[in-house]
Amino acid sequence: MNKKTPYILIMPIVLLGVLFIYGVINGIVQSFGYIPAFNLRDFTLDYYIEVIKSPAFLDSLKVTLHISLISSILAAVLGTILTAALVYTGHAEGKVLKVIKLAILIPHTIVALFSISILSQNGLLARLFYKIGLINVQSDFPLFLYTKNNLGIILGYLWKEVPFVAYFSLSLMSSINKTLGEAAENLGASRLKSFFHITLPLSMPAIGKAFLIILTFSFGAYDLPFLLGATVPKALPVQAHVEYIHPDLRHRPYAMAMNGLILLITWTMAGIYYLLSSRNRIKGDKHEGY
Amino acid sequence: MKDISSNKPLKIFIYISLFVILAPMVIITLWAFTNQWPWPNLLPTNYSLRGIKEIFAPYGKVFPILISSITLSLTVALLSAIIAIMTARAIVFYDFSGKELLDFISMAPNLVPSTVFAMGIHVVLIRMSLANTPLGVIIVHLIYTLPYTINIMRNLTESIGVDMEHQAYVLGASPWKSFLYVSFPLLLPGIIASITMAYILSFSQYFVTLLIGGGKVMTFSMIMVPFIAKGDRTLGSAYALVFVLSTLLVFAIINTLLKKFQKREEKSNWN
Repeated sequence: MNKKTPYILIMPIVLLGVLFIYGVINGIVQSFGYIPAFNLRDFTLDYYIEVIKSPAFLDSLKVTLHISLISSILAAVLGTILTAALVYTGHAEGKVLKVIKLAILIPHTIVALFSISILSQNGLLARLFYKIGLINVQSDFPLFLYTKNNLGIILGYLWKEVPFVAYFSLSLMSSINKTLGEAAENLGASRLKSFFHITLPLSMPAIGKAFLIILTFSFGAYDLPFLLGATVPKALPVQAHVEYIHPDLRHRPYAMAMNGLILLITWTMAGIYYLLSSRNRIKGDKHEGY
Repeated sequence: MKDISSNKPLKIFIYISLFVILAPMVIITLWAFTNQWPWPNLLPTNYSLRGIKEIFAPYGKVFPILISSITLSLTVALLSAIIAIMTARAIVFYDFSGKELLDFISMAPNLVPSTVFAMGIHVVLIRMSLANTPLGVIIVHLIYTLPYTINIMRNLTESIGVDMEHQAYVLGASPWKSFLYVSFPLLLPGIIASITMAYILSFSQYFVTLLIGGGKVMTFSMIMVPFIAKGDRTLGSAYALVFVLSTLLVFAIINTLLKKFQKREEKSNWN
């Protein structure tokens, strides 16, 4: 086949890739205060320093990390249990899986609506509590939405991400269990032992990758915190957008500096993940050597 | 299977998960057909078609927006699948300079939150006069679906390999024909998966469409979200129901069309 063929095949992805990189770099350049269109021409770190020093930013950062860490860790644990449950009860395909896929298909905006109709003080859970006598008036029901604890957002993410983790790691865990896990059981290991010593460790690459995906996604996501978050402090992406659409265009570099920090933290998370996973792989290789 | 009894907690966990996934959808469906559902009733007191009627009322523009929104997302999905097939073939079958870089770039959008990218590219698109246009929105949606579709097509392309297609080529079929008649039918499951994946990612987008489309490019998410933001449960739920049902309908149509195509191919191959 022709020598030119690969270059023709990659033309569209190269064009889009260049546009993508250009967009990211353009945002970063703006974060250093260089926006000729708004008559800002000084290349400076001042915007970053000012953003980092402001208490409002630190509150936003805390809230965003709180939401994404708690929801992602819980989702990874519950998702792994769900994967194991599907594998060990023989539901790795079929109707149950269709329902799980349905949750992946529902957008976060609709998940926000779920949260509102179930978790608000007028929601179904509050009504249920009232009926069984746990609360006497609507306002006795704890606040889940538009409040600093962000429980409505965290539960919303869990609803989407537990099925995602299960769907993402199902095929790997299922195939490992079928081959190595059942072999261990046949050789006399108890089911629990074969799960914790063989199936789970070998499934970790998929579970870890799913965890990284949901962690970085929820850290940079807009929809749920925009719809269900407190007015103060706002999640970082929401706060960045507020600065971005500020009528005073000189606020633009602040928005971009926040975006730069979101990027930096996202990449740090990914970097830590790759360090940990490659170190584990080297350890695993050594074990195989013995 | 030994000690079946030990499966019981796992089964209960699955049942709880299924209940938690399905219950909100049932509640939304009830709300969509509800007129009054006052505190502290556990079920609506009054059912009505108000929400659904309001969506499809002739004076509203919801139905045309739904259709144009589906068209936009289908365009994104088809382009994404085609580009993914091309990129996957280049990476799997060929050696060329810059291959590792391309490999990295095709996955990079996963490492940059779409909010960050959208704000960065916005000015660029304004300069190219692509902001506030459907084309601009399609391009940005496309960039965010490609890591997923390329991943799907790459794995499949790797597992199918190039040998059979090559045989057809050696036996005298043109390169295009040998791709269309040999590899394409084998790639169909991946193509269906890519199209559905890219469609749902595009159809769900809210922030990116809001920023790049500037309120000029209206998608279904754009008209649904204000009702959710206001907490209007009847209309919000009616919109959500239409969102989910229209998506399932589009998926069903894609599935039947491509499966039919596959059957026709098989027949013509056998004759």
